[in-house]
Amino acid sequence: MGTTPRPLAANYLRSLVVPRPRGAVDLPRRRVEQHGVRVDPFRLAAWSRLCGYPLRSRLPLPYPHLLGFTAQVQLLVSEPFPFRLLGLVHVAQEFTQHRPLPVEAELEVSVRAVAMAPHRRGAVVDLVTEVRAAGDGAPAWRGVSRYLAPGARLPGAVPPAEADPPAPGPGAAVGRWRVGASTGRRYAEVSGDVNPIHLAAPAARLLGFRRALAHGLWTASRSLAVLDGRLPDAVRADVRFKAPLLLPATVEHRHERVPEREGGGWRTAVRSRDGARTHLLTRVTPL
Amino acid sequence: MTAPTPPPRTTRAVRPVAVVAGNRTPFAKAGGRYAQASAKDLLVAAVDGLVARTGLAGERLGEVVAGAVLKHSRDLNLTREAVLSTALDPATPAFDVSQACATGLETAVLLAGKIALGQVDAGIAGGADSASDAPIAVDEGLRRVLLALNRARTPGARLKALAGLRPGQVVPELPRNAEARTGLSMGEHAARTAAHWGVSRQAQDELALASHRNLAAAYERGFFDDLVTPYLGLRRDGLLRPDTTPAKLAELEPVFGRDLEAPATMTAGNSTPLTDGAAAVLLATDEWAAEHRLDVLAHLVDAQTAAVDHVHRGEGLLTAPVHAVPVLLQRNGWTLDDLDVVEVHEAFASTVLATLAAWEDEEFCRERLGLDGPLGRVDRAKLNVAGSSLATGHPFAATGARILATTAKLLAERGGGRALISICAAGGQGIAALVEA
Repeated sequence: MGTTPRPLAANYLRSLVVPRPRGAVDLPRRRVEQHGVRVDPFRLAAWSRLCGYPLRSRLPLPYPHLLGFTAQVQLLVSEPFPFRLLGLVHVAQEFTQHRPLPVEAELEVSVRAVAMAPHRRGAVVDLVTEVRAAGDGAPAWRGVSRYLAPGARLPGAVPPAEADPPAPGPGAAVGRWRVGASTGRRYAEVSGDVNPIHLAAPAARLLGFRRALAHGLWTASRSLAVLDGRLPDAVRADVRFKAPLLLPATVEHRHERVPEREGGGWRTAVRSRDGARTHLLTRVTPL
Repeated sequence: MTAPTPPPRTTRAVRPVAVVAGNRTPFAKAGGRYAQASAKDLLVAAVDGLVARTGLAGERLGEVVAGAVLKHSRDLNLTREAVLSTALDPATPAFDVSQACATGLETAVLLAGKIALGQVDAGIAGGADSASDAPIAVDEGLRRVLLALNRARTPGARLKALAGLRPGQVVPELPRNAEARTGLSMGEHAARTAAHWGVSRQAQDELALASHRNLAAAYERGFFDDLVTPYLGLRRDGLLRPDTTPAKLAELEPVFGRDLEAPATMTAGNSTPLTDGAAAVLLATDEWAAEHRLDVLAHLVDAQTAAVDHVHRGEGLLTAPVHAVPVLLQRNGWTLDDLDVVEVHEAFASTVLATLAAWEDEEFCRERLGLDGPLGRVDRAKLNVAGSSLATGHPFAATGARILATTAKLLAERGGGRALISICAAGGQGIAALVEA
């Protein structure tokens, strides 16, 4: 049975005051559902400009994630997870698009937790967001967000870490991004993800970072926007968030085609200009 | 060492230029459904729709030519940047054109020239404009201060540059629909031409009504099914009023020409409003079309631009096509009577009517156009039969490609014939083209 999410700010507050359970917990059985969801054209346009997408009649590959974000937060604060919302680290994201969603469609969004596992730095949970056009049988879009709760403990052995997708090689196309100090605030405004670590350096310092960080999803979306127009309708992007991107920054984007014998598609990376730090790796595969 | 013998100079035959397909976004009133879309977004949508319909994804075309009238300084490579967002091969070159409202047709003429000369086998021409997303410039004084500041190399020079700052400079410059030389709006210019030719309010309203009815009927019979791709949820032109009536049009207050002695006749109903949209046409050689299993709608035969002196001789700002068309017809041995389809861009209903009146006027045709007598009469039953700018709206640079695609399809639909396109433009310019199928 689905429930309707509360406003986002209320959930952030709630996450600070409601006590979290200790020890072993079951996966929440609930799914948070929203019906009659409509894309706000102003928000879509602002998001597209910020991430480098043109405004099309179909939603950009990462965009449906935004429609499920409020529900994700709702699930994270209302279910007995052994961790708090603030402090969660987005470590991986998968976007699967079976067919593009039209911007004007009435949509159904559902979010549920599918897996929770111990991790060498704490525990991880996978939240699955599915978006379908109202009346459609199968979801057109599916997102899997993997969050790490550093320090959280779950019983059981730590499963072996998944290998990162290979980075683009030395011959890959290069782009340089000048990422402004306000990128976090601007992305917070369009995405609703107002986690203080993205907003300003003082707030980020309270939470252990020297400066404000770019949202991982901004970096991922900006990277996927480079491939816009080059991807088939049915496509999957597997994104790994590596090191945080401290703002402001000038970073290097690399992307290259993957040979058909390795599955085709593309791989991309966002790295510091000296190449010392990798912020993000993606593998984009046609379905 | 002796230089190699140059190859013999050859005269290549001029090749016929086929209009193969067209596509546009539905047009929307400024500030409406496309309020958040840029001209580039719109151009991408129009070209991508055309590419999808013709199965050209991944194709490397000879060239894409387009433009926008309201253009941001950051969009210096508008068309090339748009191409990179489309499904076309990124190795497709592109260039921008600007000729005010003639832009869309001029892009097609330029591309057609390259195709005819054998420089290009196939390409896309078009245009896009967003009146909603219009560029806003900083005050001219502030711009000069900032440029001086950028040049300054010493603290003293920087201070001197900053001393040029004035409070009034914070007010930005908004684009205005005013002629650079006269300061009059296009509507005010058109009202003067309408008064000169004695174009009545009733005749203008009748033309506007016909435009809406013709466009609505064309949509109803599916004429635009392969010429328009929905964009951002809009499926038909947002300005189309299928149920408008003579009474409704007659109620509207005149908005232009109220300072003239003659009665003011131009209203919001018989003038085009600011519009957002984009249009594109695919041009190619017949061989290229056949190789790609695409039918040819019609051929772009010839084109002619003209300009009038609206500054010093007081000629009607939008009357340049009056001069372009006779030259074009004469060069090709056509007359108005040979035409099966006539498309005269409806910047204002009065512009169309003044143009037709001029061609019927013996004295004007003798003295100003250098003809032996009147150019002739345009059969109104052949004029703008699928609606025109009064009903679709007029995103400046998109209009030419909209009209060319519509014209080519009208000819293909009737199984052949001859067509004339006439488009007026700011700056006292105009363009005309002949199409045949």
